Amino acid sequence: MTETGGRFEQIYDAHVVAIYRFVHARVGNRPDAEDLTAQVFMRAVEQLDTTRDEGQIVAWLYRVSQNAIADYWRAFYRLPLVGTEQVAPGWEPVAPGESAPDAADDVAARRVTALLRRLPERYRQVLELRFLRRLSVEETARELGISHGNAKVLQYRALRKAALMDASTDG
Amino acid sequence: MAPRDDATDPRAAERFDKYVDAVLGRGRPSPDDVVDRDEAEMARLAAELSGATDAAAAEPDEAFVEQLRLRMRQADQGIDAVRVPPPVRVAPAATADAGARIARFRLSRRDLLRGGLTVGAGLAAGLVGGAFIDRALNDAEAGWTDQELVAGNGEWAEVAVTSDLPSGAVMRFTTPAFDGFVVNDDGEIRALGATCTHLGCTLQYRPEFNDLRCPCHDASFNLRGWLANDRRNWQQDGPYPGDARAYPITLPPLPRPKVKVEDDKIFVYTARI
Repeated sequence: MTETGGRFEQIYDAHVVAIYRFVHARVGNRPDAEDLTAQVFMRAVEQLDTTRDEGQIVAWLYRVSQNAIADYWRAFYRLPLVGTEQVAPGWEPVAPGESAPDAADDVAARRVTALLRRLPERYRQVLELRFLRRLSVEETARELGISHGNAKVLQYRALRKAALMDASTDG
Repeated sequence: MAPRDDATDPRAAERFDKYVDAVLGRGRPSPDDVVDRDEAEMARLAAELSGATDAAAAEPDEAFVEQLRLRMRQADQGIDAVRVPPPVRVAPAATADAGARIARFRLSRRDLLRGGLTVGAGLAAGLVGGAFIDRALNDAEAGWTDQELVAGNGEWAEVAVTSDLPSGAVMRFTTPAFDGFVVNDDGEIRALGATCTHLGCTLQYRPEFNDLRCPCHDASFNLRGWLANDRRNWQQDGPYPGDARAYPITLPPLPRPKVKVEDDKIFVYTARI
């Protein structure tokens, strides 16, 4: 094991859990969170300057994570991959406060729960059953006393309404 | 066009439920179940909801953390030797030809990248035209470059003789530090890593598709070392031969250690162990 290898593993051990949580909060599922986390650290092996201080390394990791997440969502939006933010190899200074990872996760969680509370009753119910209690569509339909098909339609409308509300609060 | 609130197509609701089911832990979410911008916003919200409400999956799996640690360690050891700028070396006369050919190609590719980026800043991708340029743009954007890895403290390992590697041939080789393929791509000899850049499975050469295929999750790399069957490729080139759906994520290209040909022998520059 080289000294550099040892240093990488220190960085890895110190940050892998936080990076995974950060990514998971934004893609919402384990397989994709694992893939993106792996991308971030494999890129770190290639590009991260390990002689930088801890704060700069943390900022680098979160910046690369954010870019990986943006790339992931771009496939869903089917936007052309031109003119978007670019991951610069190596190090760039990051403004203080730009990386507040754990706090950012809390913010995301608080934001979605606040959003749920503002939804009309029926929409809130269907999303709580599906996401908080993690019931299947069948179970959700039974709880609400509606058909499977209607449960799916209700879920669709609830998510659309929530997304619209979210967009309008984001400005 | 924003759909009206009172008119939800049950088929859309049915399809989108596949995305929701996947994000809730019953599979891997696919962009194929999300058809427009509105639904992409919905998907993103559903993902955040799921992330915020699934305490178990919010913690990384221990096996995953260990596996990724091993991958990083291996990659770090493999790359350690090539992180350092190349030593100044006088190429033996016999290798000058092959070296010059490879260098010339690479220069033009880099020029293309540079030119493409300048153009790309001002033009829509469609105007630039040509899948190759589009892809060059994308790759450059992702921070990946198509440069050969150049080793510092390494050694030249003999991996094949040229008579065993006619044009179009692909051969596996193994050195103490590196598992790879050596490729004769229409006269250009190239070495590529044999390890998938996703989770480290060993790639298999498939002559019928002329690619390097990962047996674990079906990623395909072309003989330049680039992922060839992800969504971008499908969007640009259509379905990948033999595949039912696009590989869902992007991956870094395969490492490309330096190659030289000397007295009909092919050498690859890898780490000294």
